[in-house]
Amino acid sequence: MKPPESDHQLFERLRAGQEQAFLALYQKRQPALYRFALQMSGSASVAEDITQDVFMALVRDECGYDPSRGSLAAYLFGIARKLLLRQYERRRSDVPVDTGGGEAGFAELVDDADPLADLTTRERVEALRRAVASLPRRYREVVVLCDLEEVDYAEAAVALGCPIGTVRSRLHRARSMLAVKLRDERHGGASVPAWKAARCAI
Amino acid sequence: MNCEDYWNDLTGPEPEVDFEAHLAACPACTARYAAGRPVAANLRLLAADMKRVTAPPRVEARLLRAYRERYGQPVPPARELHRWWAAAAAVLLAAGALWTGARSPERPRVASNSPVAIAAVDEQDAAFVPLPNAAGSPQDDDVDLVRVELPRSAVTALGIPATDDSDSASVEAEVLVGPDGMARAVRFLN
Repeated sequence: MKPPESDHQLFERLRAGQEQAFLALYQKRQPALYRFALQMSGSASVAEDITQDVFMALVRDECGYDPSRGSLAAYLFGIARKLLLRQYERRRSDVPVDTGGGEAGFAELVDDADPLADLTTRERVEALRRAVASLPRRYREVVVLCDLEEVDYAEAAVALGCPIGTVRSRLHRARSMLAVKLRDERHGGASVPAWKAARCAI
Repeated sequence: MNCEDYWNDLTGPEPEVDFEAHLAACPACTARYAAGRPVAANLRLLAADMKRVTAPPRVEARLLRAYRERYGQPVPPARELHRWWAAAAAVLLAAGALWTGARSPERPRVASNSPVAIAAVDEQDAAFVPLPNAAGSPQDDDVDLVRVELPRSAVTALGIPATDDSDSASVEAEVLVGPDGMARAVRFLN
């Protein structure tokens, strides 16, 4: 059985005018890109435009993709992210950010119990959807890429233009923030800080 | 150095190594890290729920047009041309039956107002609809996807109303054609 073509092979063939290669690459990569744009913008029409613009850049050979700098998938996510940032700047309509659970001094949890343990699967999914949408953008994008789209840390780092360590630490932090948000939602208000960020002698 | 520096990746040239070492020695950060674990497990549920969400087929149609404008329209080989006409004929014959006999059931209720959740439901509409004459056909994987363009007048003559959001003179559809040349399923792109 013939092994599936790599993204790079498809990319080279599409640039040679082979339509089937373009369609194969589109069908392989568009779902994750569309979902990324949808989760980041909260708008199906914006996600549709972003997905179209990313692949239009490929069609017009405007993307300047360099294989030595990372995978094509990471590069496409990077283009999508830049287009989304442009959208934010133009529209100033980012999904509302809950700064109370944000960068500094957010309430921490002392246990690792599942905050959604007694909910049905559908309720869990909806609660998570709301919680992810309320994350600040730079935390939301690592959760969407790494946890929802299963992009590995190295590819996420290329897409986000930051070191791998930053991806990892943002992801840890984003998950902690989600745990707080989910617990707050379950208990109808801000959680009591049971654990405060402490100076550490280590 | 305090705990926040580790969480903010401000610990020097090897932040991952430093972070792991810090976790091993700091019970408070270990607890904080552990709090994220059940969330990661729950996120897999959301990921699975989102997997069916994809871009609407019209995006592919627009991109294909742009690609063909840039690189030129491919000339289909004789075999493909034959299937194109077979598919077009099958669509015309089946479209009326689809509209009158296979009206889709009531749309599923959307539990959330989130555009993400609504998009997940909308994508179900983009699925292929089996053609009535394909009910007894064998289930095989060796099918071709053929895109056809039908005159809007031909479709409306069969009882399918033209949509408000399109002013084009034709509608696009994709047809799955089996190895016997018979159309198996269809989806309309606009």
